[in-house]
Amino acid sequence: MKEHLKECMQAIIDGDTERSEKLAKLTLEKGMPVLEVINKGFVAGIREVGRLWEEGELFLPELVIGADAMKMAMGILRPALEGGEGGPDRLGHVVIGTIEGDIHDIGKTLVATMLAANGFEVTDLGADVPVAKFVETAEEKGADWIAISALLTTTMPGQKKVIEQLEAKSLGNIRVMVGGAPCSAEWASEIGADGYAGDAVAAVALAKGKTG
Amino acid sequence: MEPVILEGFDIEPDSAELSRLLGRKNGEGTGVPAAAAAGKISEAREAALEEARGLMVPRAICVTAAGADLPGSEMFTDLEKVAFCVCTIGPALEERVTALSKDGDMLAAVVLDAIGSAAAEAVACYANDRIDEAAAAEGLKASCRASPGYGGWDVKEQKALFALVPADRIGVTLTESSMMVPRKSVSFAVHIAEDPVRLRSESSCRNCDMETCPYRRIE
Repeated sequence: MKEHLKECMQAIIDGDTERSEKLAKLTLEKGMPVLEVINKGFVAGIREVGRLWEEGELFLPELVIGADAMKMAMGILRPALEGGEGGPDRLGHVVIGTIEGDIHDIGKTLVATMLAANGFEVTDLGADVPVAKFVETAEEKGADWIAISALLTTTMPGQKKVIEQLEAKSLGNIRVMVGGAPCSAEWASEIGADGYAGDAVAAVALAKGKTG
Repeated sequence: MEPVILEGFDIEPDSAELSRLLGRKNGEGTGVPAAAAAGKISEAREAALEEARGLMVPRAICVTAAGADLPGSEMFTDLEKVAFCVCTIGPALEERVTALSKDGDMLAAVVLDAIGSAAAEAVACYANDRIDEAAAAEGLKASCRASPGYGGWDVKEQKALFALVPADRIGVTLTESSMMVPRKSVSFAVHIAEDPVRLRSESSCRNCDMETCPYRRIE
């Protein structure tokens, strides 16, 4: 079992989707405790991927394939948990998008991918998302976080408008994180956001630190 | 002066620039791709480079004017001769990136997107070289490039630049928020003179206060 957990973790670190698939299937075939394999194997792997990225040890594509391998394993194991031993801890729901007027997409999608790989439920609204759409969707989904990307100084004020609309609708319990090239921790603080994330791994850490 | 359109040329995304875009967090650390990942990543990079060749249509449009012709900008007011230029690789590559990303193939999407960014920069370099050559033919020199949104040139002045350069002739337009469409486009200006001014610091990133900017290049 210990060896199996180690292999699961390594498959994620190596971004080895095929291996991750085999190990997830093997977990079910051998009747191993699914939740333990998820938490101590695969989740431990994606955490390590995040740590290695933070340490500057991983290249961007490695981060991506780590998330891919995680997605593969969870796609196989998650259904086995339903009605069984209970799912992994609920980490929260994140509504994410790039603010209106801004059609940058890939960085935001990468953040969404990493959040999902780390166990968050994610609703990705895409790019050029109107302020009201963020607020409405978050309210409808009962989201814990709204993550708003802005890549231009001209579109950053939209992030502030989302926060203002949340307050106006007494939805201040929904937390807001901002990101994108011109954003910073100072900007987040200035507009009353709950945090700034400079990249996908930082977004995961921020959401984990403040959710729940 | 009449706009000059450059087209029908090939570009090769700079390999070092591509590696930087696909690199480690803030370019820090000493890691090398894990053996298990290296093959997959290098295959993805080769496949994306191959695919990108059929998705890029490099074009540039240049207008040479007096600095004062750029309305509302103080940066160029006193400069007699400035080349204003808009470059693009066209929309097909980023449309493919969006499709890949929607299909969940993030590795291919991320790599192709980086190739697009490096390629747009390569188009700017190509146009810049042609401007340098034209300047040299007149016994003049061109300054290094400055772009709206970088190193102290307000991105809002992109609108003034687009009023001067009919970039729609190469398929590039500007959104209300001063964003270029297609995204994989570059706009820039260079001063042309016997002794051109320094439009930005040679190490503008080093002097820029946006320390968290993902485009930051610190050598």
